[in-house]
Amino acid sequence: MNRVRASLFVLLLATALPASADIAVVVNKDSGISHVSRSDAINIFMGRYRKLPNGHLALPIDLTPLKARFYRALVNKDLATVNSYWARLVFSGEASPPQQLKNEAEVLELISNNANTLGYMDSAHVTSDVHVVLILGE
Amino acid sequence: MCRLLNLFRTRLALRATAAILLIVVILGVIFLALGIYLRTLSVEREQSDRIQELLTTVERTAQVGCFLGDAKLTQEVVDGLLSNDIVSSVTVRVGSGAVLASGSSGSGGPASTAISRVIYSPFDAEDAVCNIKLLPDQQQIDALVNKASLFIALALALQLTGIGICVVLVVVRFVTRPITSISHRLSELEAETGQKLKAPRGNRGDEIGQLVVSVNAMIDNLVQSLGEERRLRLEREIEERRYRAIFDTVDAGLFELDDGGRIRVANPAFRRLFDIPLSHDLTREPLLLASCISEGAPEPSELFEAKAGGRDERQWEVGIGDEALRRWVNLSLSPLGVGRLQGVAQDITARKEASDAAERMAVTDPLTGLGNRRGFERRLAVMSRHHRLYPERRHALLMLDFDHFKQINDTYGHHAGDRVLRRVGGILANLIRQRDYVARLGGDEFVVLLEGCADRDDVERLLMRFMEQLQTPVRMRDGEEVTVGASVGIAMLGLDTDDPQQALQYADMAMYAAKRAGRSTWRFHESGRVADPS
Repeated sequence: MNRVRASLFVLLLATALPASADIAVVVNKDSGISHVSRSDAINIFMGRYRKLPNGHLALPIDLTPLKARFYRALVNKDLATVNSYWARLVFSGEASPPQQLKNEAEVLELISNNANTLGYMDSAHVTSDVHVVLILGE
Repeated sequence: MCRLLNLFRTRLALRATAAILLIVVILGVIFLALGIYLRTLSVEREQSDRIQELLTTVERTAQVGCFLGDAKLTQEVVDGLLSNDIVSSVTVRVGSGAVLASGSSGSGGPASTAISRVIYSPFDAEDAVCNIKLLPDQQQIDALVNKASLFIALALALQLTGIGICVVLVVVRFVTRPITSISHRLSELEAETGQKLKAPRGNRGDEIGQLVVSVNAMIDNLVQSLGEERRLRLEREIEERRYRAIFDTVDAGLFELDDGGRIRVANPAFRRLFDIPLSHDLTREPLLLASCISEGAPEPSELFEAKAGGRDERQWEVGIGDEALRRWVNLSLSPLGVGRLQGVAQDITARKEASDAAERMAVTDPLTGLGNRRGFERRLAVMSRHHRLYPERRHALLMLDFDHFKQINDTYGHHAGDRVLRRVGGILANLIRQRDYVARLGGDEFVVLLEGCADRDDVERLLMRFMEQLQTPVRMRDGEEVTVGASVGIAMLGLDTDDPQQALQYADMAMYAAKRAGRSTWRFHESGRVADPS
């Protein structure tokens, strides 16, 4: 009974505090980009646009542990589909997938050091070093 | 060609087949056109479906290519589509209208309906990233349609041939052959013997059987009427023979005249009567009726005149032969038809001669052979008519009476009297001309009519000769001789009077005047004056 009550609580908590489960798309604090639309995010992460809204070259970064959740939230596709999408593009060589990083610390570091990078992380782990431009609810 | 036409005219089966085939061909062409039309629609739909499937197959890749604006990848998609032979050309345009990739295969061919599909972003179902416009290969479609049409046409042709053969066989088996067989039997049928037409086996109950029954009924009727005809002909022959026998053996002459009055037919009796030899062929050389008759022949125009009184029969009495051997024939003619007369000729010679003799007897004085009172009256009547017609001509009427004739009778007997009368009659008959007339009115009274005698002197000359001859005595049987005197009174018709009866009276009165004047003399009637010749 307690377990059930606890689960209910957690569920309630989860809905009451969505920010803790959301994925935040972040950029360098000094990039001057305040906001990125969802479709811009799709275009950049899926290789269509190679420029940021501010006109600089865009360097999207994938966070491997959060990758499945991110693409589910962004384009509602599973990882296999996304992978096959990129595999198709390898043939023409026109576009290339985002750089793959292992953890949020690496992401934070890379973004802090490079104004052109665009990454994502659990919104709960966002620091003041980066600027959130888009929140993706799950 | 001509032979084929002839075959068509003479062969029912061929004609029926041709008609049916024509109908089937027309229907076939209509069905073929419909079939081709439907087939074209269906092929086009199939092609369209296939193209849609093709597009669906490449859609994912096209989405990616367009999403990224990847010309290479999109071109790959276009080439892939073009590798299908039903695709003629493909054009991929991005939203702005620029061509991302395009291609076409082979010849342009005829225009066809383009198929286009809007390609959406693989990640956003509402974001159209490009438009694929695809032209199907019309030539390919046409080839497919043609192939299908050829198959339909071939099938139809085979069906037509089959139907044609079947129709010929059926018509020959069920129609032509029974009719031919009936025709053969009919031509060999001896209907007069009561033979009947037999229907072909298997056709007894159908229309052909009915035809045979009808033909048999017709044959029955014909045979019956033929028999009737034959019976009537036989009857007519007998009738004709009967008539011919009468015609040949009857005593009366039977004949026929044409509108020209020529004898066309005559029986032996007629030929005997008119002296026409039996060898004379009247049908080839007709004789004019008038040429056979010497007296009283009817004019040709008279023959056909309608007779007043309504009776068609008309009669003539005609004389045939010389004066000496004159025969009299009664001709009775009646119309036989248009321009034809039928006649009966009867020999009436004997009858006519008898009646003539009786006629003569009636007006003759048997004693003297001169005319009698009746003859004189008749003659006077003729004279009267004649005088009315020609009043300027004059005639003399002499009345004669013997003097003392009664004494001769009393003295010598009646024979002597008769003898004297005969003698005087003879003298008078000798003195007068042919056209004059002498008659004994009775007893010793004679009358003489001198026709056309206008002159009294002529009369006196005649009377003087008469008186002179009267002087010669008449010898009686016993040798005695007797002389008689006569008193004569004369009246002139046309001078003294115009009435013959009056003239007779005047003559009578003049005769008595002569007697009063002393007998053996004559006196003319002259009002108030009596001439004395002495």
